[in-house]
Amino acid sequence: MKYLLNSKSWKWVSIGLLTYTVIGGFFLPVPRLPILNETIRILHFHVPMWFGMIIMFAISFVYAVKYLSTKELKYDLYAKEMVSVGIMFGMLGIFSGMVWANFTWGEPWSNDPKQNASAIALLMYFALLILRGSLNDDHQKARITSVYNIFAFAILIPLLFVLPRMTDSLHPGNGGNPGFNAYDLDSNLRIVFYPAVLGWTLLGLWIATLKIKLSMLQMILDDK
Amino acid sequence: MHLIFKVTFATMEVIITLIKKDFLVDFRQKYLLAGIALYVFATIYISYLAFNSVIAPAIWNALFWLILLFSSVTGMFKSFGQEANRTYYYYYLASANHILAAKLVYYLLYEFLLVILLGALFITFLGNPVEQPVLFLLNLLLGAIGLAVSFTLIASIASKSDNGNTLMSILAFPVIIPVLLLAVTNSRKIIFGASFQDISGNLLTLVCFNVIIIALSFILFPYSWKN
Repeated sequence: MKYLLNSKSWKWVSIGLLTYTVIGGFFLPVPRLPILNETIRILHFHVPMWFGMIIMFAISFVYAVKYLSTKELKYDLYAKEMVSVGIMFGMLGIFSGMVWANFTWGEPWSNDPKQNASAIALLMYFALLILRGSLNDDHQKARITSVYNIFAFAILIPLLFVLPRMTDSLHPGNGGNPGFNAYDLDSNLRIVFYPAVLGWTLLGLWIATLKIKLSMLQMILDDK
Repeated sequence: MHLIFKVTFATMEVIITLIKKDFLVDFRQKYLLAGIALYVFATIYISYLAFNSVIAPAIWNALFWLILLFSSVTGMFKSFGQEANRTYYYYYLASANHILAAKLVYYLLYEFLLVILLGALFITFLGNPVEQPVLFLLNLLLGAIGLAVSFTLIASIASKSDNGNTLMSILAFPVIIPVLLLAVTNSRKIIFGASFQDISGNLLTLVCFNVIIIALSFILFPYSWKN
Protein backbone atom coordinates (compact mmCIF):
# COMPACT_ATOMS: atom_id res chain seq x y z
CA MET A 1 0.00 0.00 0.00
CA LYS A 2 2.86 2.37 0.82
CA TYR A 3 4.24 1.79 -2.66
CA LEU A 4 0.83 2.35 -4.24
CA LEU A 5 0.30 5.57 -2.31
CA ASN A 6 3.70 7.05 -3.12
CA SER A 7 4.59 6.02 -6.64
CA LYS A 8 3.21 7.00 -10.01
CA SER A 9 4.64 4.56 -12.52
CA TRP A 10 1.92 1.92 -12.13
CA LYS A 11 -0.72 4.51 -13.01
CA TRP A 12 0.83 4.81 -16.46
CA VAL A 13 0.59 1.02 -16.77
CA SER A 14 -3.11 1.26 -15.94
CA ILE A 15 -3.66 4.04 -18.52
CA GLY A 16 -1.76 2.07 -21.15
CA LEU A 17 -3.58 -1.19 -20.50
CA LEU A 18 -7.00 0.46 -20.48
CA THR A 19 -6.30 2.36 -23.70
CA TYR A 20 -5.28 -0.95 -25.24
CA THR A 21 -8.41 -2.60 -23.77
CA VAL A 22 -10.76 -0.01 -25.22
CA ILE A 23 -9.12 0.01 -28.65
CA GLY A 24 -8.43 -3.73 -28.78
CA GLY A 25 -11.73 -4.62 -27.17
CA PHE A 26 -13.72 -2.78 -29.78
CA PHE A 27 -11.65 -3.38 -32.92
CA LEU A 28 -9.77 -6.69 -32.71
CA PRO A 29 -11.51 -9.70 -34.29
CA VAL A 30 -13.76 -11.81 -32.04
CA PRO A 31 -15.29 -15.25 -32.60
CA ARG A 32 -18.69 -15.21 -34.30
CA LEU A 33 -21.22 -17.01 -32.12
CA PRO A 34 -24.99 -17.17 -32.53
CA ILE A 35 -26.98 -14.77 -30.31
CA LEU A 36 -23.79 -13.35 -28.75
CA ASN A 37 -22.42 -11.84 -32.00
CA GLU A 38 -20.53 -8.63 -31.26
CA THR A 39 -21.84 -8.44 -27.70
CA ILE A 40 -19.15 -10.93 -26.72
CA ARG A 41 -16.92 -7.86 -26.44
CA ILE A 42 -18.57 -7.21 -23.08
CA LEU A 43 -16.16 -9.83 -21.74
CA HIS A 44 -13.48 -7.11 -21.58
CA PHE A 45 -15.67 -4.73 -19.58
CA HIS A 46 -18.17 -6.76 -17.56
CA VAL A 47 -16.04 -9.65 -16.33
CA PRO A 48 -13.07 -7.51 -15.15
CA MET A 49 -15.52 -5.62 -12.92
CA TRP A 50 -16.04 -8.84 -10.94
CA PHE A 51 -12.33 -9.56 -10.81
CA GLY A 52 -11.84 -5.99 -9.62
CA MET A 53 -14.57 -6.32 -7.01
CA ILE A 54 -13.20 -9.55 -5.57
CA ILE A 55 -9.63 -8.24 -5.52
CA MET A 56 -10.76 -5.04 -3.76
CA PHE A 57 -12.75 -7.02 -1.19
CA ALA A 58 -9.79 -9.36 -0.68
CA ILE A 59 -7.43 -6.44 -0.05
CA SER A 60 -10.00 -4.95 2.31
CA PHE A 61 -10.18 -8.29 4.13
CA VAL A 62 -6.39 -8.32 4.54
CA TYR A 63 -6.44 -4.82 6.02
CA ALA A 64 -9.33 -5.73 8.32
CA VAL A 65 -7.20 -8.59 9.70
CA LYS A 66 -4.24 -6.22 9.95
CA TYR A 67 -6.33 -3.69 11.85
CA LEU A 68 -7.46 -6.28 14.38
CA SER A 69 -3.89 -7.40 14.98
CA THR A 70 -2.28 -3.92 15.15
CA LYS A 71 -5.17 -1.55 16.07
CA GLU A 72 -3.82 1.13 13.76
CA LEU A 73 -6.62 3.27 12.38
CA LYS A 74 -4.98 3.75 8.99
CA TYR A 75 -5.52 0.07 8.17
CA ASP A 76 -9.20 0.49 8.89
CA LEU A 77 -9.22 3.47 6.53
CA TYR A 78 -7.63 1.35 3.78
CA ALA A 79 -10.18 -1.41 4.37
CA LYS A 80 -13.08 1.01 4.20
CA GLU A 81 -11.99 2.71 0.97
CA MET A 82 -11.27 -0.64 -0.65
CA VAL A 83 -14.80 -1.76 0.19
CA SER A 84 -16.34 1.34 -1.36
CA VAL A 85 -14.33 0.90 -4.57
CA GLY A 86 -15.27 -2.79 -4.56
CA ILE A 87 -18.93 -1.86 -4.28
CA MET A 88 -18.55 0.56 -7.19
CA PHE A 89 -17.07 -2.25 -9.30
CA GLY A 90 -19.87 -4.57 -8.23
CA MET A 91 -22.57 -2.08 -9.20
CA LEU A 92 -20.93 -1.50 -12.60
CA GLY A 93 -20.68 -5.27 -13.05
CA ILE A 94 -24.34 -5.81 -12.24
CA PHE A 95 -25.60 -2.97 -14.42
CA SER A 96 -23.38 -3.79 -17.40
CA GLY A 97 -24.48 -7.41 -17.04
CA MET A 98 -28.14 -6.44 -16.92
CA VAL A 99 -27.88 -4.30 -20.05
CA TRP A 100 -26.13 -7.16 -21.85
CA ALA A 101 -28.53 -9.82 -20.55
CA ASN A 102 -31.45 -7.78 -21.77
CA PHE A 103 -30.23 -8.30 -25.34
CA THR A 104 -28.89 -11.86 -25.11
CA TRP A 105 -30.87 -13.67 -22.43
CA GLY A 106 -34.04 -11.71 -23.21
CA GLU A 107 -34.48 -10.08 -19.82
CA PRO A 108 -32.28 -8.06 -17.46
CA TRP A 109 -32.75 -10.40 -14.48
CA SER A 110 -33.27 -14.11 -15.05
CA ASN A 111 -32.92 -15.58 -11.55
CA ASP A 112 -29.49 -16.86 -12.47
CA PRO A 113 -27.54 -18.16 -9.44
CA LYS A 114 -24.56 -15.92 -10.18
CA GLN A 115 -26.75 -12.86 -10.55
CA ASN A 116 -28.40 -13.63 -7.24
CA ALA A 117 -25.09 -14.35 -5.53
CA SER A 118 -23.57 -11.07 -6.68
CA ALA A 119 -26.63 -9.11 -5.58
CA ILE A 120 -26.39 -10.74 -2.14
CA ALA A 121 -22.66 -9.98 -2.00
CA LEU A 122 -23.39 -6.31 -2.63
CA LEU A 123 -26.12 -6.32 0.03
CA MET A 124 -23.58 -7.63 2.56
CA TYR A 125 -21.13 -4.85 1.83
CA PHE A 126 -23.85 -2.18 1.81
CA ALA A 127 -24.77 -3.45 5.26
CA LEU A 128 -21.12 -2.99 6.24
CA LEU A 129 -21.25 0.67 5.23
CA ILE A 130 -24.48 1.15 7.20
CA LEU A 131 -22.88 -0.54 10.22
CA ARG A 132 -19.96 1.89 9.96
CA GLY A 133 -22.33 4.82 9.87
CA SER A 134 -24.22 3.70 12.93
CA LEU A 135 -21.20 3.58 15.26
CA ASN A 136 -19.65 6.72 16.70
CA ASP A 137 -16.39 5.94 18.45
CA ASP A 138 -13.54 5.66 15.90
CA HIS A 139 -11.85 2.61 17.40
CA GLN A 140 -15.08 0.79 18.09
CA LYS A 141 -16.25 1.55 14.56
CA ALA A 142 -13.00 0.18 13.15
CA ARG A 143 -13.06 -2.94 15.30
CA ILE A 144 -16.68 -3.88 14.72
CA THR A 145 -16.53 -3.21 10.98
CA SER A 146 -13.35 -5.25 10.68
CA VAL A 147 -15.08 -8.17 12.38
CA TYR A 148 -18.06 -7.92 10.04
CA ASN A 149 -15.75 -7.42 7.06
CA ILE A 150 -13.90 -10.67 7.79
CA PHE A 151 -17.17 -12.51 8.35
CA ALA A 152 -18.67 -11.13 5.12
CA PHE A 153 -15.61 -12.08 3.07
CA ALA A 154 -15.67 -15.61 4.47
CA ILE A 155 -19.31 -15.90 3.37
CA LEU A 156 -18.59 -14.21 0.03
CA ILE A 157 -16.14 -16.85 -1.18
CA PRO A 158 -18.47 -19.86 -0.96
CA LEU A 159 -21.34 -17.66 -2.14
CA LEU A 160 -19.60 -16.66 -5.37
CA PHE A 161 -17.42 -19.69 -6.05
CA VAL A 162 -19.14 -22.74 -4.55
CA LEU A 163 -22.91 -22.33 -4.52
CA PRO A 164 -23.42 -21.18 -8.15
CA ARG A 165 -21.42 -24.18 -9.31
CA MET A 166 -23.85 -26.57 -7.66
CA THR A 167 -26.72 -25.58 -9.93
CA ASP A 168 -27.11 -24.84 -13.61
CA SER A 169 -26.46 -21.30 -14.65
CA LEU A 170 -26.64 -19.18 -17.76
CA HIS A 171 -23.13 -18.00 -17.02
CA PRO A 172 -20.20 -19.95 -18.41
CA GLY A 173 -18.31 -22.12 -15.94
CA ASN A 174 -21.34 -23.58 -14.14
CA GLY A 175 -23.24 -26.83 -13.97
CA GLY A 176 -19.98 -28.78 -13.97
CA ASN A 177 -18.09 -26.80 -16.62
CA PRO A 178 -14.51 -26.07 -15.62
CA GLY A 179 -14.08 -22.28 -15.40
CA PHE A 180 -14.19 -20.28 -18.56
CA ASN A 181 -12.87 -22.92 -20.90
CA ALA A 182 -16.20 -23.70 -22.50
CA TYR A 183 -16.01 -20.98 -25.10
CA ASP A 184 -14.26 -17.96 -23.69
CA LEU A 185 -10.66 -18.98 -24.09
CA ASP A 186 -10.52 -18.10 -27.73
CA SER A 187 -7.00 -16.71 -28.17
CA ASN A 188 -8.32 -13.54 -29.83
CA LEU A 189 -10.31 -12.76 -26.70
CA ARG A 190 -7.53 -13.80 -24.40
CA ILE A 191 -5.02 -11.26 -25.67
CA VAL A 192 -7.36 -8.46 -24.66
CA PHE A 193 -9.09 -10.03 -21.67
CA TYR A 194 -6.09 -10.57 -19.38
CA PRO A 195 -4.65 -7.07 -19.90
CA ALA A 196 -8.18 -5.73 -19.34
CA VAL A 197 -8.44 -7.45 -15.95
CA LEU A 198 -5.10 -6.03 -14.86
CA GLY A 199 -5.92 -2.57 -16.24
CA TRP A 200 -9.31 -2.27 -14.53
CA THR A 201 -7.91 -3.59 -11.24
CA LEU A 202 -5.10 -1.03 -11.32
CA LEU A 203 -7.66 1.69 -12.06
CA GLY A 204 -9.63 0.56 -9.01
CA LEU A 205 -6.49 0.74 -6.86
CA TRP A 206 -5.83 4.20 -8.25
CA ILE A 207 -9.31 5.41 -7.25
CA ALA A 208 -8.87 3.80 -3.84
CA THR A 209 -5.51 5.50 -3.23
CA LEU A 210 -7.05 8.87 -4.11
CA LYS A 211 -9.91 8.24 -1.70
CA ILE A 212 -7.50 7.12 1.03
CA LYS A 213 -5.39 10.26 0.61
CA LEU A 214 -8.53 12.41 0.77
CA SER A 215 -9.74 10.70 3.96
CA MET A 216 -6.29 11.06 5.54
CA LEU A 217 -6.29 14.79 4.80
CA GLN A 218 -9.78 15.00 6.24
CA MET A 219 -8.58 13.25 9.40
CA ILE A 220 -5.69 15.70 9.77
CA LEU A 221 -8.06 18.66 9.26
CA ASP A 222 -10.50 17.25 11.83
CA ASP A 223 -7.74 16.91 14.40
CA LYS A 224 -6.74 20.57 14.06
CA MET B 1 -3.64 -35.78 32.23
CA HIS B 2 -5.33 -35.10 35.53
CA LEU B 3 -4.72 -31.40 35.05
CA ILE B 4 -6.26 -31.38 31.57
CA PHE B 5 -9.39 -33.02 32.96
CA LYS B 6 -9.51 -30.48 35.72
CA VAL B 7 -9.18 -27.56 33.28
CA THR B 8 -11.82 -28.96 30.92
CA PHE B 9 -14.11 -29.53 33.85
CA ALA B 10 -13.66 -25.95 35.07
CA THR B 11 -14.39 -24.66 31.55
CA MET B 12 -17.53 -26.73 31.33
CA GLU B 13 -18.62 -25.45 34.70
CA VAL B 14 -18.22 -21.83 33.60
CA ILE B 15 -20.15 -22.46 30.38
CA ILE B 16 -22.96 -24.28 32.16
CA THR B 17 -23.22 -21.51 34.73
CA LEU B 18 -23.47 -18.93 31.92
CA ILE B 19 -26.18 -20.95 30.16
CA LYS B 20 -28.08 -21.28 33.44
CA LYS B 21 -27.82 -17.53 33.91
CA ASP B 22 -29.31 -16.94 30.44
CA PHE B 23 -32.24 -19.21 31.22
CA LEU B 24 -32.76 -17.55 34.57
CA VAL B 25 -32.76 -14.07 33.04
CA ASP B 26 -35.28 -15.13 30.43
CA PHE B 27 -37.41 -16.93 32.97
CA ARG B 28 -37.60 -13.79 35.06
CA GLN B 29 -38.60 -11.65 32.08
CA LYS B 30 -41.33 -13.92 30.83
CA TYR B 31 -42.82 -11.27 28.58
CA LEU B 32 -39.87 -11.62 26.18
CA LEU B 33 -40.42 -15.31 25.53
CA ALA B 34 -44.18 -14.91 25.56
CA GLY B 35 -43.75 -12.08 23.06
CA ILE B 36 -41.86 -14.32 20.63
CA ALA B 37 -44.42 -17.10 21.00
CA LEU B 38 -47.22 -14.66 20.35
CA TYR B 39 -45.34 -13.25 17.35
CA VAL B 40 -45.03 -16.74 15.85
CA PHE B 41 -48.65 -17.56 16.57
CA ALA B 42 -49.97 -14.30 15.14
CA THR B 43 -47.91 -14.62 11.94
CA ILE B 44 -49.04 -18.18 11.32
CA TYR B 45 -52.64 -17.35 12.12
CA ILE B 46 -52.58 -14.42 9.71
CA SER B 47 -51.12 -16.68 7.00
CA TYR B 48 -53.86 -19.21 7.75
CA LEU B 49 -56.54 -16.59 7.29
CA ALA B 50 -54.86 -14.99 4.27
CA PHE B 51 -54.37 -18.28 2.43
CA ASN B 52 -57.86 -19.38 3.43
CA SER B 53 -56.41 -22.71 4.65
CA VAL B 54 -55.69 -23.94 1.10
CA ILE B 55 -51.92 -23.88 0.58
CA ALA B 56 -49.64 -25.47 -2.04
CA PRO B 57 -46.65 -27.51 -0.74
CA ALA B 58 -44.07 -25.18 -2.33
CA ILE B 59 -45.66 -22.16 -0.66
CA TRP B 60 -45.98 -24.04 2.65
CA ASN B 61 -42.24 -24.60 2.52
CA ALA B 62 -41.36 -21.00 1.66
CA LEU B 63 -43.68 -19.67 4.35
CA PHE B 64 -42.26 -22.03 6.95
CA TRP B 65 -38.69 -20.86 6.40
CA LEU B 66 -39.66 -17.20 6.13
CA ILE B 67 -41.51 -17.24 9.45
CA LEU B 68 -38.67 -19.20 11.06
CA LEU B 69 -36.19 -16.61 9.76
CA PHE B 70 -38.13 -13.60 10.99
CA SER B 71 -38.98 -15.04 14.39
CA SER B 72 -35.32 -16.08 14.90
CA VAL B 73 -34.08 -12.58 14.07
CA THR B 74 -36.63 -11.02 16.40
CA GLY B 75 -35.73 -13.37 19.23
CA MET B 76 -31.96 -13.50 18.84
CA PHE B 77 -31.23 -9.86 19.35
CA LYS B 78 -32.60 -9.56 22.85
CA SER B 79 -29.99 -11.68 24.58
CA PHE B 80 -26.92 -9.65 23.61
CA GLY B 81 -28.92 -6.45 23.87
CA GLN B 82 -29.44 -7.04 27.57
CA GLU B 83 -25.78 -7.95 28.15
CA ALA B 84 -24.48 -4.45 27.41
CA ASN B 85 -24.53 -3.26 31.02
CA ARG B 86 -22.84 -6.37 32.35
CA THR B 87 -19.92 -6.49 29.89
CA TYR B 88 -17.29 -5.19 32.29
CA TYR B 89 -18.40 -7.53 35.03
CA TYR B 90 -17.90 -10.53 32.74
CA TYR B 91 -14.29 -9.59 32.04
CA TYR B 92 -13.44 -10.77 35.56
CA LEU B 93 -15.41 -13.97 35.40
CA ALA B 94 -15.08 -15.65 32.03
CA SER B 95 -13.11 -15.48 28.79
CA ALA B 96 -14.76 -14.42 25.55
CA ASN B 97 -14.74 -18.00 24.27
CA HIS B 98 -16.65 -19.21 27.33
CA ILE B 99 -19.26 -16.57 26.78
CA LEU B 100 -19.55 -17.39 23.08
CA ALA B 101 -19.82 -21.13 23.77
CA ALA B 102 -22.57 -20.51 26.31
CA LYS B 103 -24.42 -18.19 23.94
CA LEU B 104 -24.14 -20.68 21.07
CA VAL B 105 -25.61 -23.50 23.17
CA TYR B 106 -28.30 -21.23 24.53
CA TYR B 107 -29.28 -19.94 21.09
CA LEU B 108 -29.32 -23.46 19.69
CA LEU B 109 -31.73 -24.62 22.40
CA TYR B 110 -33.77 -21.51 21.83
CA GLU B 111 -33.85 -22.11 18.06
CA PHE B 112 -34.93 -25.73 18.56
CA LEU B 113 -37.77 -24.62 20.82
CA LEU B 114 -38.80 -22.15 18.16
CA VAL B 115 -38.72 -24.88 15.48
CA ILE B 116 -40.89 -27.17 17.62
CA LEU B 117 -43.42 -24.41 18.29
CA LEU B 118 -43.44 -23.35 14.66
CA GLY B 119 -43.79 -26.92 13.39
CA ALA B 120 -46.66 -27.70 15.74
CA LEU B 121 -48.55 -24.54 14.77
CA PHE B 122 -47.89 -25.10 11.06
CA ILE B 123 -49.22 -28.64 11.15
CA THR B 124 -52.27 -27.54 13.14
CA PHE B 125 -53.25 -24.64 10.94
CA LEU B 126 -51.70 -25.12 7.51
CA GLY B 127 -51.58 -28.90 7.16
CA ASN B 128 -48.58 -31.18 6.74
CA PRO B 129 -47.31 -31.81 3.18
CA VAL B 130 -44.14 -33.57 4.43
CA GLU B 131 -44.04 -37.26 3.57
CA GLN B 132 -40.49 -38.00 4.77
CA PRO B 133 -40.40 -36.53 8.27
CA VAL B 134 -36.95 -37.91 9.15
CA LEU B 135 -35.21 -36.35 6.16
CA PHE B 136 -37.17 -33.14 6.58
CA LEU B 137 -36.20 -32.91 10.26
CA LEU B 138 -32.54 -33.62 9.51
CA ASN B 139 -32.44 -30.76 7.01
CA LEU B 140 -34.43 -28.55 9.38
CA LEU B 141 -31.96 -29.31 12.16
CA LEU B 142 -28.96 -28.33 10.03
CA GLY B 143 -30.73 -25.19 8.79
CA ALA B 144 -31.71 -24.21 12.33
CA ILE B 145 -28.12 -24.69 13.53
CA GLY B 146 -26.96 -22.45 10.66
CA LEU B 147 -29.47 -19.75 11.60
CA ALA B 148 -28.59 -19.89 15.29
CA VAL B 149 -24.82 -19.76 14.90
CA SER B 150 -24.80 -17.00 12.26
CA PHE B 151 -27.17 -14.87 14.29
CA THR B 152 -25.07 -15.25 17.43
CA LEU B 153 -22.08 -13.41 15.99
CA ILE B 154 -24.25 -10.89 14.15
CA ALA B 155 -26.21 -10.18 17.33
CA SER B 156 -22.99 -9.50 19.21
CA ILE B 157 -21.95 -7.07 16.46
CA ALA B 158 -25.34 -5.37 16.24
CA SER B 159 -25.64 -4.94 20.01
CA LYS B 160 -22.70 -2.52 19.92
CA SER B 161 -24.78 0.02 18.05
CA ASP B 162 -27.54 2.23 19.42
CA ASN B 163 -30.15 1.11 16.92
CA GLY B 164 -29.26 -2.57 17.17
CA ASN B 165 -32.66 -3.96 16.28
CA THR B 166 -32.77 -2.44 12.81
CA LEU B 167 -29.12 -3.18 12.25
CA MET B 168 -29.63 -6.80 13.24
CA SER B 169 -31.90 -7.50 10.27
CA ILE B 170 -29.77 -5.49 7.83
CA LEU B 171 -26.60 -7.35 8.84
CA ALA B 172 -28.12 -10.78 9.28
CA PHE B 173 -30.21 -11.23 6.15
CA PRO B 174 -27.47 -11.10 3.49
CA VAL B 175 -25.18 -13.26 5.62
CA ILE B 176 -27.82 -15.90 6.25
CA ILE B 177 -28.90 -16.21 2.60
CA PRO B 178 -26.40 -18.96 1.65
CA VAL B 179 -27.54 -21.16 4.56
CA LEU B 180 -31.16 -20.37 3.89
CA LEU B 181 -30.83 -20.99 0.16
CA LEU B 182 -29.40 -24.47 0.73
CA ALA B 183 -31.89 -25.36 3.45
CA VAL B 184 -34.96 -24.07 1.59
CA THR B 185 -33.98 -25.80 -1.65
CA ASN B 186 -33.39 -29.08 0.21
CA SER B 187 -36.64 -28.79 2.06
CA ARG B 188 -38.58 -28.10 -1.16
CA LYS B 189 -36.95 -31.09 -2.80
CA ILE B 190 -37.84 -33.27 0.18
CA ILE B 191 -41.46 -32.16 0.07
CA PHE B 192 -41.55 -33.08 -3.61
CA GLY B 193 -40.24 -36.54 -2.77
CA ALA B 194 -36.44 -36.42 -3.13
CA SER B 195 -34.40 -39.22 -1.56
CA PHE B 196 -31.32 -38.86 0.65
CA GLN B 197 -29.00 -39.34 -2.36
CA ASP B 198 -30.60 -36.41 -4.19
CA ILE B 199 -29.82 -33.90 -1.48
CA SER B 200 -26.73 -35.38 0.20
CA GLY B 201 -24.43 -32.93 -1.65
CA ASN B 202 -26.41 -29.92 -0.48
CA LEU B 203 -26.62 -31.29 3.06
CA LEU B 204 -22.87 -31.72 3.18
CA THR B 205 -22.37 -28.14 1.97
CA LEU B 206 -24.73 -27.00 4.70
CA VAL B 207 -22.71 -28.86 7.33
CA CYS B 208 -19.48 -27.29 6.00
CA PHE B 209 -21.08 -23.86 6.12
CA ASN B 210 -22.10 -24.35 9.73
CA VAL B 211 -18.60 -25.47 10.66
CA ILE B 212 -17.04 -22.45 8.91
CA ILE B 213 -19.40 -20.06 10.69
CA ILE B 214 -18.78 -21.62 14.11
CA ALA B 215 -15.00 -21.50 13.59
CA LEU B 216 -15.19 -17.87 12.45
CA SER B 217 -17.34 -16.96 15.42
CA PHE B 218 -14.72 -18.28 17.83
CA ILE B 219 -11.98 -16.36 16.02
CA LEU B 220 -13.89 -13.09 15.71
CA PHE B 221 -16.02 -12.95 18.85
CA PRO B 222 -13.19 -11.89 21.21
CA TYR B 223 -12.66 -8.79 19.04
CA SER B 224 -16.29 -7.80 18.85
CA TRP B 225 -16.85 -8.50 22.55
CA LYS B 226 -14.14 -6.46 24.25
CA ASN B 227 -14.55 -2.71 24.32
